[in-house]
Amino acid sequence: MKQLKGSADLASIVVRELTKRYGNLTAVNQISLVVETGEIFGMLGPNGAGKTTTVEILVGLRTADAGEVKVLGFDPVTEDKKLKRSIGVQLQMPALFPRLTVEEALQLNATFYPDPFPVDQVLEWMGLTDRRKMFTHKLSGGQLQRLIVGMAIIGNGKVLFLDEPTTGLDPQARHNLWDVFQLLQKMGKTIFLTTHYMEEAQYLCDRVAIIDHGSIIALGTPDQLIGDQFEEKAIELSEMGSENETILRELPGVTRVQTAHNQITLYSTHVEATIRELIQLEAEQRLAISGLAIRKASLEDVFLKLTGRSIRQ
Amino acid sequence: MKIFFNLVMATLKDMIRDKMTVFWFILFPVLFMFLFGMIFSGPQNVNFDLGVVVEEPDFFAQSFLANLEQVEMLTLFQGSLEDELDALGQRKRNAVLVLPDIQFGPDLFNEDQSNESVAIPVYYDASSQANKVLIFMLSEIFNHVERGMQNRARIFTLDAKPVQAESLRDVDYLLPGILAMALMQLGLFGSLRLVYLRERRILRSLGATPLPRTHIVLSEIIIRLLMAAIQTLLIILIGHFVFDVQIMGSWWQVLGAVFFGAAVFVSIGYMLVTFAKTEESGNGIIQVVQFPMMFLSGIFFPLEFLPAFLKPVVRAIPLTYLGDLLRSIIIGVPYAFGLTTDLLILSGWLIVSLIMTIRFWRWD
Ligand SMILES: Nc1ncnc2c1ncn2[C@@H]1O[C@H](COP(=O)(O)OP(=O)(O)OP(=O)(O)O)[C@@H](O)[C@H]1O
Ligand SMILES: [Mg+2]
Repeated sequence: MKQLKGSADLASIVVRELTKRYGNLTAVNQISLVVETGEIFGMLGPNGAGKTTTVEILVGLRTADAGEVKVLGFDPVTEDKKLKRSIGVQLQMPALFPRLTVEEALQLNATFYPDPFPVDQVLEWMGLTDRRKMFTHKLSGGQLQRLIVGMAIIGNGKVLFLDEPTTGLDPQARHNLWDVFQLLQKMGKTIFLTTHYMEEAQYLCDRVAIIDHGSIIALGTPDQLIGDQFEEKAIELSEMGSENETILRELPGVTRVQTAHNQITLYSTHVEATIRELIQLEAEQRLAISGLAIRKASLEDVFLKLTGRSIRQ
Repeated sequence: MKIFFNLVMATLKDMIRDKMTVFWFILFPVLFMFLFGMIFSGPQNVNFDLGVVVEEPDFFAQSFLANLEQVEMLTLFQGSLEDELDALGQRKRNAVLVLPDIQFGPDLFNEDQSNESVAIPVYYDASSQANKVLIFMLSEIFNHVERGMQNRARIFTLDAKPVQAESLRDVDYLLPGILAMALMQLGLFGSLRLVYLRERRILRSLGATPLPRTHIVLSEIIIRLLMAAIQTLLIILIGHFVFDVQIMGSWWQVLGAVFFGAAVFVSIGYMLVTFAKTEESGNGIIQVVQFPMMFLSGIFFPLEFLPAFLKPVVRAIPLTYLGDLLRSIIIGVPYAFGLTTDLLILSGWLIVSLIMTIRFWRWD
């Protein structure tokens, strides 16, 4: 097996041909990736894609069946003690001592690490200052989620592993967290996060790996991924049945048609020509348009194109 | 060390905020003590009816009888062995003592032969714990007489064991029993918390932090010992100040025995739940073990009540020995099995259960 050298100084995480099987199921299939120090790296994929499995192998909670993993130069299995002191981990569904308060839970986690952030600082970041005396089992779902992320951050680790950090958060809380993550990035931290949210990956991540059925199907910056797959813009027609697909496919400039949830998305290289023709069709009453939106192609479109499925399915 | 201290404090907070923990481990034994204390604290007959069978009214028998007559608590009856045993059977005697015909040779008390002792049969009604005190008292009197007969330095030195000056009431026996029960329950049921932490994936979540797992277990054990100390204090204080139980042992002896007993049962508790996947199944296993143990260990009533075929079970149960240890240390009754036996068997259980737990425990 080849040694993971050379990139070790710059890279915080190096994964080579990592494979994990549960019985017959290959949850993670030969994935390789390198996360540079100071990067926010996103792993994007639908339910059951293998995100959690990957994260938990990276932090030493599960063992791989094959492949090589180094985090900060440490082997997560044999050097887990050293590793755990220098990272922060937020598991997808962690459990806490139920009868500790928010403040006590954060304080407890802080004591495990050599150089933690002050509790007050983390409370403020997570927007939990007014909930500090509340018992953790009485928190709302979103508040609990923020506490859990806070518990991962408080250790002031060099690399943060966050498994779906913003799931269950309202839009405002999500944007707050994004700000915090960007602040942490400015402090020099490396962040490895997983998400189902395309907007999140697109907005927050320097690079994204799209994973499906345990395999990485695309890897790069969000713009790269979109640019690679699409020169086109997307025209979304809502309340449009799939019976219209054939007519729409014939429109000028249209390269691809995607039907999902009673909505049709046209990808067009010549948006104006396509729109003109669409309006013509409506005028001739061959088509009823109830909603129309034009946007740039997004990661969602990339995912749809690569897998033929919407990520929320 | 700081990490450990913080973990202990956090665990302690998490635990005592659970009302059920406080109830079962602190309040329940206290209530038990009050309840049993109230039922059994009435004075009992201070008088023992002792049958004496004299086979040969020689010097030895005479001096022994003279000594017995001086004991206020004793009412003496003399008769044939047959008659006296009959009376014992009808509960008209607490015990029957047989003074055998001893052939006094010149060498009887020679140092060389001092190991050869003369057996003095005592028959007693074992259904009352108090009769054990009578037996002990008799052997003290016997020693006294023996010493009186020698005109030289003592062959036997008896280290004075504290004996309850007043008669023992049932509540006196119950106090060490309740303490033993409380320690057993604390140890056994306390182990369920680790199963709960495992089942609820709290252990797993902590596994993502640098906290060593051993810290978690150690903090659990430290807290158990702390709770054991609190229980002991409460039970003994209530026993002493409310029900007037005389405590014979020193605090450090009592605490030593209590910590040792707690450690044994904490360890056995972990062994029992090693294979339990859920808190409920663990609870079931422990119930099955602790309930019979409570009744077969003689902590609440004398072992002599139990049918003979259960004796081997009784002799295997750790609670039997913890009860014996605590009874002797706290209220000063003689050991039923001996201090060494108690300590050895309890240590055996401690070591075996520790090994089993370390060998088979699963963290997830
Ligand atoms: N302990 C396990 N035993 C057996 N199969 C497992 C185990 N953990 C995960 N799997 C399976 O492996 C696959 C990947 O699971 P994983 O939790 O990594 O997905 P994920 O990408 O995190 O999904 P989600 O978005 O729902 O969190 C799933 O099909 C899952 O059922
Ligand atoms: Mg997951």
